[in-house]
Amino acid sequence: MNHLDELTINAIADGEQTDDHVRECAQCAAAVVDVMRMKRAVRALPRLGARTSGPQSTALRSGDHSRRWPFDRRSTGSGPEVRAPRMAIAALIVLALLLVPYYLAGRATARDLVDLHTTILASAAPVDVISTDRHTVKPWFEGKVPFAVDVPELAGTPFRLAGGRVVFLHGQPCAYLLIEKGAHRVSLFVFDATVAPRVGGIERMTVQSWRARGLVYVAVADLSRADLEALRHAFGA
Amino acid sequence: MSFDELATPLFPALYNYARWLTRDPAEAEDLVQETYVKALRGFGSFTAGTNFRAWIYRILRNTFLTSKSGLTATASIDDDVVETVAAEGTPESLLMSRIDAEALRRAIESLPLIFREVLLLSDMEEMSYREIAETLGIPIGTVTSRLMRARRKVREALR
Repeated sequence: MNHLDELTINAIADGEQTDDHVRECAQCAAAVVDVMRMKRAVRALPRLGARTSGPQSTALRSGDHSRRWPFDRRSTGSGPEVRAPRMAIAALIVLALLLVPYYLAGRATARDLVDLHTTILASAAPVDVISTDRHTVKPWFEGKVPFAVDVPELAGTPFRLAGGRVVFLHGQPCAYLLIEKGAHRVSLFVFDATVAPRVGGIERMTVQSWRARGLVYVAVADLSRADLEALRHAFGA
Repeated sequence: MSFDELATPLFPALYNYARWLTRDPAEAEDLVQETYVKALRGFGSFTAGTNFRAWIYRILRNTFLTSKSGLTATASIDDDVVETVAAEGTPESLLMSRIDAEALRRAIESLPLIFREVLLLSDMEEMSYREIAETLGIPIGTVTSRLMRARRKVREALR
């Protein structure tokens, strides 16, 4: 078997390329996972933050570039005209401190889901119950996840059910449905709405989530948003 | 969108990137500041609808390259640049199940500039190959080969 070259391994790990070979070859799949692991470690490195706040909008608009924003190390004045923007900046920092972790957590979850999607699709046996029949897949989840999994009839839609399995995300069980649209494969993660994580956006992969009848669905695929919108309609949401 | 709306959210990421390029907090601050001033002045030449992030990163990088430490960084790597690299075989498994963050940081910091920047833009700033190519003004093929070599070097350093 011809193995993938290093450039291709990198491109797959970077989400720039796909190759069916990784689904069949454990060695190449392991190499892809290794690069992903390194990427994740780089991403997890602490961000080097500035000693002062972000750029000061008022100074930007004023066009007065002689003012040394945003790092005015030489400034000694603190009159009202200096204090007011400082307070605005302080308010912005507080807001950012509140929102940034929320935003980052959502993105981190999206990344975890995209990694799971890639890992599962790279596996020789991506699903534990292989069936296109929803009446087989739905009862299979009974007793495996603490909620009833709603699997709608996909006949008449461009989607086709390929099977399912149980995956864990952040310590919570989640029903995984593998759905196909032509040659594309969609990972649909189904969570109980009470414990569902918040999922943010991410580049390179389409992530679409919705809520219906007490469950939260998160679809991950290299398909357009419109395609995942259609899947959402097929799931009656 | 206004300059503020486009540029302000990028501030933390630009500063982080500047820190990695300059390896010095004060210099990074000056660099980001100069970048914003230049970007604001040149905003008229920015074409709406194109990639603002790549545009402002390019300004930051060009500003860095013309700075004193930027010139030193580029001068020291000339011998190390071989753009075309044969990609043969599959890299052996790295046994990188536990990556020591401190060792990784040191490994990235010690990378020559052309490898450091491509690795950071890809793995920290999460840019696509196309965006990196646009930012650095190099072909996508060069992005991929530099990235491959950057990762090889990091792996070697971590071994």
